[in-house]
Amino acid sequence: MHNQQSFWQLNKAVVLFALVALTMPLWFPLINGYSGLDTKIMIFCIFLVGFDILLGFTGYLSFGHAAFFGIAAYSTGLMLKNFSDNIIPAIIVAVIAATLVAIVIGLLTLKRTGIYFSILTLAFAEMFHSMAMAMLQTWTGGENGLTGMPTPMLFDIKMQGSAVFYFTAIMAIILFYVAKRIERSPVGLMMKAIKCNQTRLEYTGINARKYKLLAFVISAMYAAVAGALMVVYEPFVGHEFLGWHQSGEVVIMSVIGGVGTLVGPMIGAAFMLYFENVLSVDLGEQWLLVLGLIFMFVVIFMPGGFMEAVDRIKKRFITTADSE
Amino acid sequence: MDMTLNAFTLYILTGLQLGSIFVLIALGLTLIFGTLGVVNFAHGALYLIAIYLAVSINNALGFGLALILVPPILFVFGVLMERGLIQRFYDREHTDQILVTFGLAIVLQELLKWVFGANNIPFAIPSWGNGILMLHDYLPFLEGFVVYPKWRLILVVVSIVTVAAVFALLHLTRFGLVIRAGMRDAEMMQFLGVNINRRFMIVFGLGSMIAGIAGVFGGPVTQVSPEVGMHLLVPSFLVVVIGGMGSLGGAVIAGILIGMAQSFTAPYINLNTVIIYLITVVILLVRPRGLLGAKGVFE
Repeated sequence: MHNQQSFWQLNKAVVLFALVALTMPLWFPLINGYSGLDTKIMIFCIFLVGFDILLGFTGYLSFGHAAFFGIAAYSTGLMLKNFSDNIIPAIIVAVIAATLVAIVIGLLTLKRTGIYFSILTLAFAEMFHSMAMAMLQTWTGGENGLTGMPTPMLFDIKMQGSAVFYFTAIMAIILFYVAKRIERSPVGLMMKAIKCNQTRLEYTGINARKYKLLAFVISAMYAAVAGALMVVYEPFVGHEFLGWHQSGEVVIMSVIGGVGTLVGPMIGAAFMLYFENVLSVDLGEQWLLVLGLIFMFVVIFMPGGFMEAVDRIKKRFITTADSE
Repeated sequence: MDMTLNAFTLYILTGLQLGSIFVLIALGLTLIFGTLGVVNFAHGALYLIAIYLAVSINNALGFGLALILVPPILFVFGVLMERGLIQRFYDREHTDQILVTFGLAIVLQELLKWVFGANNIPFAIPSWGNGILMLHDYLPFLEGFVVYPKWRLILVVVSIVTVAAVFALLHLTRFGLVIRAGMRDAEMMQFLGVNINRRFMIVFGLGSMIAGIAGVFGGPVTQVSPEVGMHLLVPSFLVVVIGGMGSLGGAVIAGILIGMAQSFTAPYINLNTVIIYLITVVILLVRPRGLLGAKGVFE
């Protein structure tokens, strides 16, 4: 009995997420969400959960995660086009490629403080962007993007419509579960200790850089899965996948949702994509301006994002309930 | 390498001209970082404001007024930005400082895009700066007929004058002495009864004003479109990192280095796109604190 209860306690968030995710095709159209957008939201949930392992746990702010998203997307596209229309080898190769790049960039950028890290991740991502635009044009299609992929297949299943959605949703649930496991593992504790007080951690004889690199590479792998799924969802890779807008978008989603909570950034992703694609109809071109203002408001007044707002409301509710 | 003296001179000039803009942007960045410890992701947006103001005033009222008005306006804007926003973040984490300046960068960029549109606005160069300069008239070692756009040389001169002025301000005046002391140890300056915060506010304005000067003269060269700010910010960040965070001399040397590297690799398109990143990688491996970076500063 006790064990069952603790299983529920430990995995409540994952089970709830699974319920919300898998029933999404039923309720999402009711709030004007079009089919396809739900898949994109699931893809970004994966991206954001991984990003929170880096930013939320270790406190290191990357402005270059578009690099891994984009590299994985291009790898997937090229694999589908030239090797096989089966998505499994494509996704595996994409994740391996992005992981290798992440290890190199991580070793270079994690040498010094978080300030350097933010600047240099931005710079290296821009390097890949300009490489895709110029020197690798014959592979990436440059300005026009990579097109001409066959319909992606999961063995015999055509990856279209709801097949893509459920595949993506199941991946998101699994990867969210993995992130939760990392969070409560000793490794996750080390990562969180880096955010708390890195100097103190190092004085206890622990190699903080190892854990920083690990967090960085894991988050890059999540970004890579997201990037690969993006191509499965829509067989096209644009150079924007590698651009700073993409990196910035992930940062904004994280912060609006609530950094360090794993669930918060996913809510941030859903909110931003919903905002961008549904609510923005009334705002037109200015949606990004409004989003920027919301983002600044959150950073200034509510650094914990949406999750902090929920906490505050909960607390107020509980205290008023107590006093009555 | 088979290169004539003529070609070599032109590469050097182009390198100086490319470096000039990097130096001006990076100077403000590193000044603000060195004094306030804030990495200003909105610095590219300050440049953006400057070029849009400059092109508007220039096309309506002439270049003279743009030159007189834009830098002071940017100074005031910088001061307001520091008082209204950045000041609230001195006690917060660096991550939060980066986030809020990033947010501001987006808001400013989108505002400018809304007002002026996403397309490039032509920036008419004033008649006295238009046309080309006959270099062979001035440099006797050049053979034959060698010319260079006059405006780009003016940009180099403006950059040199600005750098000289900033160095004079910091090294020859009492104000500069206090600022430099504040860069070393702001807390100690407070104990000595110096209101360092007021001066830091002025430094922020100054960094912003340099971006203003860069915008007035750089606008015709970099073009006037909303993406320019971010495109310049990345290499300028690298200039700051290569030179050493917070080092003004380092920013100047690194800016010229990056400009030269871009100029001399121009014939090799593949190398050209990655050269500044290659230099950054080498610096990070060989000398992580940057060329003139002080030991122990944000290591």
